[in-house]
Amino acid sequence: MTDIMNAINISAAGMQTQGARVRVITENIANANTTGDTPGADPYRRQTISFENEMNKELGINLVKVGAIGVDMESDFPIEYRPDHPAADENGYVKLPNVKTLIEMQDAREAQRSYEANLGMLEQARSMAQRTIDMLRN
Amino acid sequence: MSTQSISLFQALGAKMDFLSQRQVLINQNVANADTPGYKPRDLKDMDFGKILGDINKNASNGVQQVSLGGTAGKHIGASASGETAKVEKQRETYEATLSGNSVVLEEQLVKSNQNNMDYNLMANLYQKNVGLIRTAIGSNR
Repeated sequence: MTDIMNAINISAAGMQTQGARVRVITENIANANTTGDTPGADPYRRQTISFENEMNKELGINLVKVGAIGVDMESDFPIEYRPDHPAADENGYVKLPNVKTLIEMQDAREAQRSYEANLGMLEQARSMAQRTIDMLRN
Repeated sequence: MSTQSISLFQALGAKMDFLSQRQVLINQNVANADTPGYKPRDLKDMDFGKILGDINKNASNGVQQVSLGGTAGKHIGASASGETAKVEKQRETYEATLSGNSVVLEEQLVKSNQNNMDYNLMANLYQKNVGLIRTAIGSNR
């Protein structure tokens, strides 16, 4: 039974990390239009999340956890000509956040599917535990 | 007398133990479906017919169990004698992502379902055999 309980713990950890991923994605989408407030200032930079499989000393098994929440320094800020904007530089261009809603939506969908997969695996482990307990009936 | 002193029950218990350990690995694979560089793991297939034979042969030598194997004898959980199930990284998978992750959810789903069905089969066999013994004892239930 300990093994099955471990399996359930592992799946629960997987669901937790996917939840954290959705949080980061939501933050990115919410800030898709957050520009700076002084002339030439940098806008919101998109956040990234990564996972790692690490030993949990309490349970003695490897659980997946959130590795590092970083910022995306790779992609450039798109610029737009808007001379009336408070963050416009001397030429009238405003830097916009490097958040691409399409990419964020893709990520969110993947997180949702992974969450569901973990839920399915948890259900399978649960049914194994249930079957074992059922052996005690009759 | 416990049911473990009957070799068939012992073998069924060993197989159920193996299956629940395998379920742990499958759940771990799915939980790491988005972890960069993660390679899926599985237990090495075991010959349970041989184990049953060994148990029958060594019936007088006491209880033999299937336990998780280690790479060295001093590892915790590794048993010096008897059959052990080994964890192995899956070498060939259907596909790998750019981040080096090669977990395929569909593949894991198939494995998990197979595992679950096997487990149910073992549980059913166990119960049937208990029923058989009950009949022999002659209790009315």
